[in-house]
Amino acid sequence: MTMAPARPSGIGNEARNQPEPPARRPQAGAYPWAMALAISVAVCGAALSLNGVLRGWNWFWPVLTTVLTVSVALAALRSVRAQPLLVTAGGFISLAAVLTLTFFRGSSFLWVIPTGATLPDLDRLMRRASETVLSETAPVAPNAGIVMVVCAVLGLAVILVDALAVPLRMPAASGVGLLALLVVPAMIKPQSVGVWSFAATAAGYLLILACSQRFAPDGQLQSGAPRSPGLARRAALTGAAAMVATLLLPLAIPGFDQGTFPQGSRLNPWGGATGLNPMITLGSSLRAPDGSGRITYATNSPTPLYLRSVTVDNFDGDSWGPDDRTASRVPLDGRIDPGYAVLADEQVRLVTAVDTGSFTSPYLPVPYAPETIRGLGGEWTWDPATLSIKGTDTTTRRQEYVVTSTEPKLSAALLAQASGPVRGIPDDFSRIPGNVPDIVKATAKTVAGTAGTPYQKAMALQRYLRSSEFTYSLQSPVQGGYDGNGLSVLADFLQQKSGYCIHYASAMAVMARLEGIPSRIAVGYAPGRLTGATIAVAGQGALPEYEADARDAHAWPELYFQGLGWVPFEPTPSRGVVPDYATDAPVPAVPDTLGNNDGLVPDAAPAPSATPSGTALPVPGGTGGGEGGSAGVLPWLLGTAGVLGALLLAAAPHLVRSGTRTRRLNPRSPGQSVPLAWNELTDLGIDYGVRAAPSETPRAYSARFRQTLLGEPGGLDHEAHQAVAFLTSAFEHHRYGRPDNSSPATSLRGHPAGQDIQAGVAAVVDSLRQNATLPRRLRAEWLPPSVIRRLGLLLGLPFRAAGSGIRKAARAAAHSRKSRAAATSGAPVAGRREAAADDGVRGRGRG
Amino acid sequence: MEPHRRTANNGSAPNLNLAGVADAVSRLNGHRAAAMDPESFHEAAQRILTTVNTVIDGKSDAAKLALTVLLAQGHLLLEDVPGVGKTLLAKTLARTIDCTVNRIQFTPDLLPSDVTGVSIYNQASRLFEFRPGAVFANIVIGDEINRASAKTQSALLECMEEHQVTVDGNTYKLDEPFMVVATQNPIEMEGTYPLPEAQRDRFMARISMGYPDKEAEIEMLETHQAVSPLAAVSPVVTASDVAAMTTTVQQVFVSEAVKEYTVSLGRATRESPLLRLGASPRSMLQLLRAAKATAALDGRDFVLPDDVAGVAEAVLAHRIIVERKAAGAGENPHSVLQGILSRLPVPQAPPGQATRPAAAAGGRNR
Repeated sequence: MTMAPARPSGIGNEARNQPEPPARRPQAGAYPWAMALAISVAVCGAALSLNGVLRGWNWFWPVLTTVLTVSVALAALRSVRAQPLLVTAGGFISLAAVLTLTFFRGSSFLWVIPTGATLPDLDRLMRRASETVLSETAPVAPNAGIVMVVCAVLGLAVILVDALAVPLRMPAASGVGLLALLVVPAMIKPQSVGVWSFAATAAGYLLILACSQRFAPDGQLQSGAPRSPGLARRAALTGAAAMVATLLLPLAIPGFDQGTFPQGSRLNPWGGATGLNPMITLGSSLRAPDGSGRITYATNSPTPLYLRSVTVDNFDGDSWGPDDRTASRVPLDGRIDPGYAVLADEQVRLVTAVDTGSFTSPYLPVPYAPETIRGLGGEWTWDPATLSIKGTDTTTRRQEYVVTSTEPKLSAALLAQASGPVRGIPDDFSRIPGNVPDIVKATAKTVAGTAGTPYQKAMALQRYLRSSEFTYSLQSPVQGGYDGNGLSVLADFLQQKSGYCIHYASAMAVMARLEGIPSRIAVGYAPGRLTGATIAVAGQGALPEYEADARDAHAWPELYFQGLGWVPFEPTPSRGVVPDYATDAPVPAVPDTLGNNDGLVPDAAPAPSATPSGTALPVPGGTGGGEGGSAGVLPWLLGTAGVLGALLLAAAPHLVRSGTRTRRLNPRSPGQSVPLAWNELTDLGIDYGVRAAPSETPRAYSARFRQTLLGEPGGLDHEAHQAVAFLTSAFEHHRYGRPDNSSPATSLRGHPAGQDIQAGVAAVVDSLRQNATLPRRLRAEWLPPSVIRRLGLLLGLPFRAAGSGIRKAARAAAHSRKSRAAATSGAPVAGRREAAADDGVRGRGRG
Repeated sequence: MEPHRRTANNGSAPNLNLAGVADAVSRLNGHRAAAMDPESFHEAAQRILTTVNTVIDGKSDAAKLALTVLLAQGHLLLEDVPGVGKTLLAKTLARTIDCTVNRIQFTPDLLPSDVTGVSIYNQASRLFEFRPGAVFANIVIGDEINRASAKTQSALLECMEEHQVTVDGNTYKLDEPFMVVATQNPIEMEGTYPLPEAQRDRFMARISMGYPDKEAEIEMLETHQAVSPLAAVSPVVTASDVAAMTTTVQQVFVSEAVKEYTVSLGRATRESPLLRLGASPRSMLQLLRAAKATAALDGRDFVLPDDVAGVAEAVLAHRIIVERKAAGAGENPHSVLQGILSRLPVPQAPPGQATRPAAAAGGRNR
């Protein structure tokens, strides 16, 4: 005989009407798979935007495999209802496995399990990736290293997005993970993310939202919400605010002069384009909105002075880079010998004092050809073949030095005579690369084929490139997809006839080689502008000071003429200054687009009053040093990975908490639903600051919970109040009621349907959120005390164990001491014991 | 107060025939009244409480506790200053039940035989015939029990504990339900015989009525001027109803956790340094019975720790004795019990309970 509830609650009545679903397994079924599909679409869509960062599409297949594998692994684990943390751990394991399968198959065990031998491979690939990043600019060639890094980051992104969308129940916030992916191309690619990629990402994101809404509507969105009347108005307001912000923000951000806001290349606050490799970062330097990497120099040169950092002479391969020739480098002490004899009658000796300021590069910008350099800090070497000067352990940052250089006084006549066969320089400079595109060959033949002497050929090439057919543009290579360097880029350039210095220089250099003239590309600074100040240089008096910055970065071809050495040319229209010897023909008027040719030639009398007194340049310059600026892909990738990792770490308590909640609300057997829900309720109380005292009965705790944390019972929180009351009575019944559940009344109240409990807890959570202050709510959400406390208990476990062990040992020692004492003198101890027993009796009698 | 020593309030004859006694015996020997179904139990309890509350304004807690004690088959000690309605409560409760009610006004010259009954010589049958005393009734109201002499008190107390009367070697069972509601006046103790601890232990609960609050007192002045409210009271349940209700109460389930809680409460009173005398095992039994009745009145078929804690003060406060030092420091039994209850841990998940699998599964959760 049992007693039914005297005042059955409404929820209980509903529960009675619903048949108990047999062995319910909530959330199984299509949900994990649909969510995996949505996440794959979103992440792959975001990955599409990397197309301009990595060249071509070959890299996409490993990326696709990685993303799909991780998604499927997560979905499979979730469909067998593994714990949320286990699912995430499984995601990491599957990521490691698929990366091993793709990149380290040779050193793996069973293709997917990394072994000890994988580590060196990983190190090799990482090194390769970082080399790629340091030595190349976007788009980089998709080598194994960079693709592995990209795959790893995308796999992490899948795990993060999944964690946000499913166990954390914040599908809307999963956009953060996708945004982190889109930031990379937005920052690196001048044309930003791209429409298709953005559309695909957005579609995936919407799919994620739809999946969460369709399969787990108990998340943040309520099913009834779309019908609420103010929604359309709110949506319109939000959209309008976003539009206004998009239009207004660019005005507020300095240097943002072009395009709309999300186009990130204008918005590069790190601006690290003062480039490790002047050649490679040249395009982005030129496009830099502000003049970073400013250097100043003072020179006695009568002609505009080019400062050269490095040369590129190997035209093989996808992407050109400077050849350091580390083996043959010579330490910089004393005179630098160009290694060839110059037969010019007159040589001009130049003295140039350079202050590099914040410009950071391992290569020293100097005028050609340097002879001596004084005042440098750190160790430097020079390459006998190219005379490029490179720091071994230092960079150009904050260097002040004085260079003496010699320059043959060249004339068209001299050059025209220099037609002898080339001797005395390495073959590297005249070797024709293997896979020259046909258009380059054909153009070279058409333009210069008929010319007789090397000089005529060179002039023909320069004339051709400076003709009105070609336009100088920093943007069109980017838009045309041939930004960068290399032979394929060159072919595109010759078709489009639009580009900037690197294209002109490489075109002239390659075509010169095809015509038999040794050539190389010099990279450095075009002549800068007068600052108006003067610098006093020892032995030269006051010299006019010039400044050049990233916008003056330049590349130009140097051709070798026997007897005259390396002779620079200027094929780039509107940039730099065409040397006298190369201006035999009237140069077609080209609009001066950037207008930085002004003031290239110093006035005859530079204004001496600009500075009160030129200070002597300190010869022993400041200590060189500073870290090399690194701009490129890897920092972004690592940064993204770091951000993803940090997000995961920061979300860990929340993840654990919500995972626990989900597991409690979806128990394996219906019999456990009530105690687990009660545990959830007490944990909620702990999170919001009401902890159950040990002497508090469930009923008293529930009353305090409702009074402290919930609002008025009759008002908005009515549902939550009812839910707490219902849960309390169910738990009491479970805890103190009859253990056998056969009788109808007991089973009715002891095992309410899971949905009721879920809905009840959800109502309680909502009500708690609404009634809590903001700090408490944030703490309960993101740093829940229940989790933190459990963590503290867990961490304190070894200490407590040690403490109890010590106490036990102390007791044992005391005991053995006592027994030893008893062995030596038995009677007194026995007497004491009796006395103790008497005390005990008396004490009990009184108590 | 009515001056006469013994009065039968009820129209029904106070004399019980032997058949009635036999009926009571048979009921005790297994033929229990069938338990009442929950709806009628609740309804009956509500009827009783409503009726009592119409007579005594603003004392619903005391009324409920009195009913609890009745259903738990205990005895009630009402202790308070004169004029707050002790006797009225006892009489009202008795009047709501259609059963025999006797009232004994205790005085110093009351004899034990007046309570238990006496054998007198029947001239006609030439036999000694037992004339039942005032205690032969379902509800016995003992007014000012502390005014009677110790031996008279003892006579009543034997009946309370044993539910039987032994006169001249013959044992007579008392009718069920049987409840003694005694009142005691804590002031004017001159020339009285306050109940010693051993006898107070027989009462399941002691209630202090306390003064009514302002509104209740105003209302009382308003309604109770002309006519005695008691006159309007008519029985709402029968004695067999009450017997069925007590059976229901007996069948209320007590879980291991609640037993453990009760026992640890008792042990805490015995171990408390503030108390000279802790709660006895019998008091534990009565505490649990009172808790069961509370649970049943609350509409449950199982006992909560709340039920135990709720009746603990009423059940235990008159049995424990505060240490003199503690009493000097201002402690009284109620404050000590409240302190113990506020510190006593509620067993959450003891081993070997039905919750065990849940605890195992939820162990990680907690």
